[in-house]
Amino acid sequence: MKAAIIGSGRIGCGFAGHLLAAAGYEVVFLARNPVMVSHLNRVGRYRVRLANGRDQTESSVSGVRAVDMADRAACVAVLAEADLIVTAVGPANLASVAPLVADALRTRSTPLNIFTFENLADGGAHLRSEVAACLPEGFPLDRFGFSGTLVSRAVTQRLGDPSGDEPMVFVGDPPDSFVVDGTRLVAPVPVIASMIIADNFAAWMRRKLYIFSAGHATCAYLGYLKGYRYIHSAIRDSEIRSAVVEAMTEAQKGIAAVYGVAFAGGEAHLQEILDRFANAAINDSISRVARDPFRKLASEDRLVGAARLALEAGVYPEQLLRAAAAAYCFSDPADAVAGELQKEIRVTGMRPTVRRVSGVRANGRLGRTLIKRWRQLTRHWHADSVLLSLAQVHWA
Amino acid sequence: MRIGILMMEHTKTRQQSVMPDVVQILTDWGVDVDLIYPEQELIAVANIQVEHDLYVLKASTNLAMSMAGALHAIGAAVLNPYPIAAILRDKIVTERILRTAGVPTPDTFVADRAELLAPLLAAGPMIIKPYRGSRGRGVRVVWDADELDELASIDGPLFAQRYQKPEGLDRKIYCIGDQIFGVERVWPPLSYQDKVGRPFTITSELRDIALRCRRAFGVDLLGLDVIISHGRPYVVDVNSFPGFKGVPDAALRLADYIFAAAEQRREQPPSPARQTLEEIQQ
Repeated sequence: MKAAIIGSGRIGCGFAGHLLAAAGYEVVFLARNPVMVSHLNRVGRYRVRLANGRDQTESSVSGVRAVDMADRAACVAVLAEADLIVTAVGPANLASVAPLVADALRTRSTPLNIFTFENLADGGAHLRSEVAACLPEGFPLDRFGFSGTLVSRAVTQRLGDPSGDEPMVFVGDPPDSFVVDGTRLVAPVPVIASMIIADNFAAWMRRKLYIFSAGHATCAYLGYLKGYRYIHSAIRDSEIRSAVVEAMTEAQKGIAAVYGVAFAGGEAHLQEILDRFANAAINDSISRVARDPFRKLASEDRLVGAARLALEAGVYPEQLLRAAAAAYCFSDPADAVAGELQKEIRVTGMRPTVRRVSGVRANGRLGRTLIKRWRQLTRHWHADSVLLSLAQVHWA
Repeated sequence: MRIGILMMEHTKTRQQSVMPDVVQILTDWGVDVDLIYPEQELIAVANIQVEHDLYVLKASTNLAMSMAGALHAIGAAVLNPYPIAAILRDKIVTERILRTAGVPTPDTFVADRAELLAPLLAAGPMIIKPYRGSRGRGVRVVWDADELDELASIDGPLFAQRYQKPEGLDRKIYCIGDQIFGVERVWPPLSYQDKVGRPFTITSELRDIALRCRRAFGVDLLGLDVIISHGRPYVVDVNSFPGFKGVPDAALRLADYIFAAAEQRREQPPSPARQTLEEIQQ
């Protein structure tokens, strides 16, 4: 069995490649970086280090090779022969791989499933529509399954030098499950031990996005304001920890109202998430988790989407909105998108920005609180300053 | 990740050092932390080796400084870097660097003998400090020439600064990387709470001074003593790796910073000094 993985980054190698190789697939990466392509072909393997506190395991993913995406014919040939195609290119790049996938599908007569490992609400449908746009009308696209996935593992680091001969090391936390949308798959369905086939994929997606990702984002944006560098540091700050727990609880109540208490999970579920945030062994940086605030502040995304759902459930999402307000303060100079957000606020004002980015009316229930919290946070804000106290909004 | 912390023993009456909490947090994060008390060991100099990703130079004793220097010489990463920590122990060198960086300090003089300071007293009192002193030890205000005899007990050159009468509370400014914190304290402190003081939001003027100091020395863990006199701030002391008393969540902030420094070091190749040594050994 052959699996073609488009993207040789952290999730491509540290999660998809790792699991698929373990499931018996021959793994071929399609990569944009010629240095990485050359490295994988020369070394033929890489390592995955799974770390939880002081416990670490490291395993080798062997027998891998790579094809340069500049060599379109070679890529199409690999995709055409694959038994499973996976994308792990980042949400912003998903559309760009659609023409390649479309060309491969033209040559196939057998069914195939395509998984998007993109942390995108509906990555499968998104890619399907992009691929459809590249194919002639009437093309039998229903022969192919397009499913988004929910990845449980955080792969935070790629260590090593791809220009050298030592295998690269991908560092992540231990969870190895992923959820696919059972309603979007075609037979034969791949057999992968840690794959969960869900008929209610949207519910799983919302649960992960609105509880785990909302908590992660709350920790990152408040941690940024308080000057921490790592998620494991921020979650140790008692004020931030409380805010994260409360934000996730608000979101959990929203999920429970729609999908049931059992599906939403209880305190144990939240504790499990907090333990993952506290895992210093994966060096999860605030800048990584907080980056791309436009996407994370979008109407249906982790903070504002969770806040809407909580509000619909009769829970006022005070902490989720404070986290969103903190996200509107995110101005890491290393993050170009954050710079664009701050520029938009400066140029157009906060109220129109909130309306455009989060789809929230400034004088609505959510908008009023969000803007009020943002004003409180920014009252004495200096770009280089550090928040000493969330409760008193006291800046250093 | 392995971190060695060069420590000094403190008397049991000394309260609430930040370091035990820093060590606990780093340990909780899975870091192997070794506390090194140079004064308690017989050290074979030939056996000093780089065994940690990062050394944290918390102690300022002569032996700890020499250990840090030896480790620096064989390519270890030391926080703060040994050469700068060594400079910061010398108030004369420190003062000149501050002046060059445009940091406001009182008029400053040095003399090997106390009587040489006598002419300065005509213009007002002077503060006299041991040029390698710390923690306020040996600091005194001299108003009249007849008090100069009392300075005979101070070893080494005398570091003399024009006394600027402070207004309001004493101000400590702490740097952890590019983060700057201000703490106000009453002087003299009568209780532990007085020593801890309270955080204040620093002005842009004080922020600028702190950034100038940080740039001048190129170190990230720094403490400044600042007084305001006649409405003007003066930096009257600079410390490498101070106690960070009064900084909210200081231990967590320091642990976060130290963890990042060690991680960065792990990702970097060894320094040229270390490579050279390894080549020699081969």
